Amino acid sequence: MTSSHVMKFMMGLYLFIFFTYLFGPLIIMSFTAFNSAEFPAITPWECFTFRWFNEGKIAYDGQHLAGLFTDWRLHDGLISSLIIGGGVVLLAVPIGMAAAIVLTQVKSQLRDIYYSISIMPVLFPGVIIGISTVVLWDRLAGLGGEGFISEIGRNGIFLTILAQTCFISTYCFLIFVARLQRFDQTQEEAALDLGASQTQVFFKILIPYLAPAIASAAVIAFLASFENYNTTVFSILSDQTLTTVIASKVRLGISPALSALALSIIALTIIAAVTYEILRRREEKKYALSQEKYVTEKAAISRIDKDYKVGFKIPKGIVAIILLVILCSYGGTQILKNDLYGQSCIDAADKEKKSKFLDQLQVLEQNELSDEELGGGNLGGNLDYGDIFGDPNLFQDFAF
Amino acid sequence: MNSYFFTQPFFKKNGRAIAIYFLVAIIFWFVFLVIIPQLYMLDLSFRTNVPPLERGGPKDFYTFEHYQHFVFGSKTAQDAFNFVDLGVFGRTILVSIFVTLANLAFCYPIAFYIAKIANPSTARLLIVSLIIPFWINELLRSFALRILFANEGVINNVLTGIGIIDQGILFITYDIGLYTGLIYAYILLMMFPLYNAIESLDVNQIEAAKDLGSSTFRTHWRVVIPHAKPGIVSGCTMVFMLTVGALATPVVLSSPNTLWFPQLIYQWFNMNDNWSRGSAYSIILLIISVIFVLTMMRIFKVRIGEIIR
Repeated sequence: MTSSHVMKFMMGLYLFIFFTYLFGPLIIMSFTAFNSAEFPAITPWECFTFRWFNEGKIAYDGQHLAGLFTDWRLHDGLISSLIIGGGVVLLAVPIGMAAAIVLTQVKSQLRDIYYSISIMPVLFPGVIIGISTVVLWDRLAGLGGEGFISEIGRNGIFLTILAQTCFISTYCFLIFVARLQRFDQTQEEAALDLGASQTQVFFKILIPYLAPAIASAAVIAFLASFENYNTTVFSILSDQTLTTVIASKVRLGISPALSALALSIIALTIIAAVTYEILRRREEKKYALSQEKYVTEKAAISRIDKDYKVGFKIPKGIVAIILLVILCSYGGTQILKNDLYGQSCIDAADKEKKSKFLDQLQVLEQNELSDEELGGGNLGGNLDYGDIFGDPNLFQDFAF
Repeated sequence: MNSYFFTQPFFKKNGRAIAIYFLVAIIFWFVFLVIIPQLYMLDLSFRTNVPPLERGGPKDFYTFEHYQHFVFGSKTAQDAFNFVDLGVFGRTILVSIFVTLANLAFCYPIAFYIAKIANPSTARLLIVSLIIPFWINELLRSFALRILFANEGVINNVLTGIGIIDQGILFITYDIGLYTGLIYAYILLMMFPLYNAIESLDVNQIEAAKDLGSSTFRTHWRVVIPHAKPGIVSGCTMVFMLTVGALATPVVLSSPNTLWFPQLIYQWFNMNDNWSRGSAYSIILLIISVIFVLTMMRIFKVRIGEIIR
């Protein structure tokens, strides 16, 4: 009995550690987005601020750190990421669908080879796909002279769409294969028997059946394209996408504006996940209700009539939400009370830093040597040499 | 042609317009996006590095120079072998294997718990919360770890604040941040194949093993793991491939004086402008990846279709 308790405890502990590992860094990063310090940190907490979401800051030493809404490079990158994502969806979804449908028609001896080729791009490292696309199109552009080919062969956005389509098509392919496995072939046959043409069967039966797969393939393709870095960094050439902008920012020096960006993405993700979960539950409930209704109707007499519990049930999640609200309001009042929010706090912090900076400058100026001192005479290094060169007997032996 | 490849006549089965769409889409994908670029890169890796204008000229000939450079170093070098590049390569592979095994060890208990012990609603919640971090860009996740591990970062500040250590630990310099980040980056790709494989195991088998007196460890070793083998192979392959080819995480987290192999490729390609050598190094990376997949398939006797679903 106790051993199973121990096991349970260990498992709980392990789960806790694991999820801390998953979420801890993200949560801490989210907090750093609200710290007014230039370096994303928690412990020297300066002021609570939203400036990394808005205008950023011009530091006392003249260095400009852009905020999320004023950073034009991020905006440009975001726009080209959206264009590329759209292009990849338009190419990869039809390709994946075609490949998956044809898989059902290929002879069984060839099916393994066909399948292997289809999933091969996922097994290629992303950098290789990017490189191979670039070298090929650079060559084509070189051959094409000044024409259209040379234009698109050196267009980073076009190359990135092609390179990403190469492996994202496989993701789409796999989604369609999974859906097609449950397809009832007799539907097609019935339609054909009733006089539909092949094209009509495709548009009236296959496409509607595949619609959910098309939707999820489009979403997956867009997300995969949006967050890809390894392939994009090679194929984008001189353009920029959101990920390459982020990468260059991280490499140049990390700024809390990136925390703000990440927090925005996290918020969007959580909203999407919750919405999806709620929709799914509602759908499930509807389905369960219809099933129940069907069963009760079948049974005619209310033998299996359930007596429904009437009353208000408190959902478990509410406790967490209430706790969160209490915590937030407590934290908020504390911040306001201690004057940790707003311009006055930021000004104070800046002033302090500025004075420190000035102090350092003063110290530097004090230590600086005047020209006269550097010129030689009574100070420092020149003395040693002065002795040598000053010695009239030193080069005596060399004089002929 | 139809009867060689397809179960039914292709054009008749799909109708002319749709059949043409299928063929165009598939040929465009296989030939123009997958095969030709790889072949051209292979070709380029055996050529001298010449500026675009001299292509096809007398200076553009086939050579092994780039592969020789990888093994023996430049012709003027003192060492017998190119210890720098070989070192980067070996380190990348060893660390990737370590990361893969660590991922497997971390994920197995969780996957088993979600698949077999947790009740359905908890399991659902856990799965959703597993997915959420992985919707966030790999670069930003690495950035989050960078905030933790930087020399003036959160961990060092907290540890020195409490007084456990006097001076900050150089997590980034010793690449501790990089290893943590690589494990963090692809853990989901280990979790889901494992979860799917364990989930399909009948609980009765586990209980039967227990009833027959098998210990917990033995039950896992003899019943659960053999059943989950395809999932384990699939997860290991995916994680290894992605780790070996990782670029985003090393860019953010690796220390300034060590390189990850794709970073080396990046340097040859973008900073030194030597595309041929970059291609040669890419081919080496590709060969390693293919060898790894084939070895996994051979050792564990799984088909490629079972690795990726």
